[in-house]
Amino acid sequence: MANYFGLSAITNFFKTISSHGGLRASLAKMYRMDSVRMGTCVGTDKYGNKYYENKSYFYGRNRWIEYAPYYALEYDGSQIPAEWFGWMHYKTDLIPSQDPSRPQYKWMTDHTENLTGTPGQYMPYSTTRPKIEAWSPTKA
Amino acid sequence: MSNTALKIFTLGRNGRGLFKPNVAVVQQRFIGSPAKDGYVYVNDREPSMDMNSITDRAAQTMFMTELVRGFGVTLAHIFKEPATINYPFEKGPLSPRFRGEHALRRYPSGEERCIACKLCEAICPAQAITIEAEERADGSRRTTRYDIDMTKCIYCGFCQEACPVDAIVEGPNFEFSTETHEELLYNKEKLLENGDKWESEIAANIHADHLYR
Repeated sequence: MANYFGLSAITNFFKTISSHGGLRASLAKMYRMDSVRMGTCVGTDKYGNKYYENKSYFYGRNRWIEYAPYYALEYDGSQIPAEWFGWMHYKTDLIPSQDPSRPQYKWMTDHTENLTGTPGQYMPYSTTRPKIEAWSPTKA
Repeated sequence: MSNTALKIFTLGRNGRGLFKPNVAVVQQRFIGSPAKDGYVYVNDREPSMDMNSITDRAAQTMFMTELVRGFGVTLAHIFKEPATINYPFEKGPLSPRFRGEHALRRYPSGEERCIACKLCEAICPAQAITIEAEERADGSRRTTRYDIDMTKCIYCGFCQEACPVDAIVEGPNFEFSTETHEELLYNKEKLLENGDKWESEIAANIHADHLYR
């Protein structure tokens, strides 16, 4: 009955605030993430990002990431590592630790975010020896 | 009794007959009941100009019922769940066949797959790929230059279809926008680095699609 009249929204509101640890913490989350929602944490990657799921939201909004605290407001979509990329984009329902199709080779490297505009950005360079080499005449 | 009920029904339905419920409303066809003469007239009718309906329309204008109903719709949408996603925190669904940023893959041993056959270079409709090959010290044929101009590329996926050893693939990443043009002129090192970074997802995508190839 309470559901029919939408009264559950009010109880959900208070539950959400208390699950985030009070009004102040909820407002901080609201400022950073533009939404405060309840969900179950399904996993954490090695960079500290947390992944949440709440299936009561529609497909496309039912999974979300909370970027690691040290990113502060410098969060970016490219900070999601390759292991979690598929889950985040609804390609698979399996989190990386459950997915047998994900190999672990020793040459696989750590994830980096898109480094454009930073000192770490990629700059193209030639990978071959130059075709023409300048002639330096020997002196007399 | 039934007449009163009908009046309440029409009140709730379209806010008409608020002050003078007219007789025509009672004879109006209920939604869902079959038309008596076999068809339903769906075009706009001329507004009736008898005193009764003119008074009704004037009352609606006076009391701004449309305006109030409009505000009601607005208010309802404030509490509605948004239809958009909150991008960097939520992401849209993607196919395993999605063609994004290129990557050069390696064999599980760590050996690079590309054998410099140049099929990708040949098939590329935008001519975005440049390859130069040389014999490596151990006698195997490898590329010394594998450049892709990502600003020429049209992301058609012909290169990964052409590749006999699954070396060049279009990975799942689409968040590689840059501030300058030159950052998008990828060389072999960058492509191999992409492969090392994205192998987990590339392998999962190939596995998800292997029954269809």
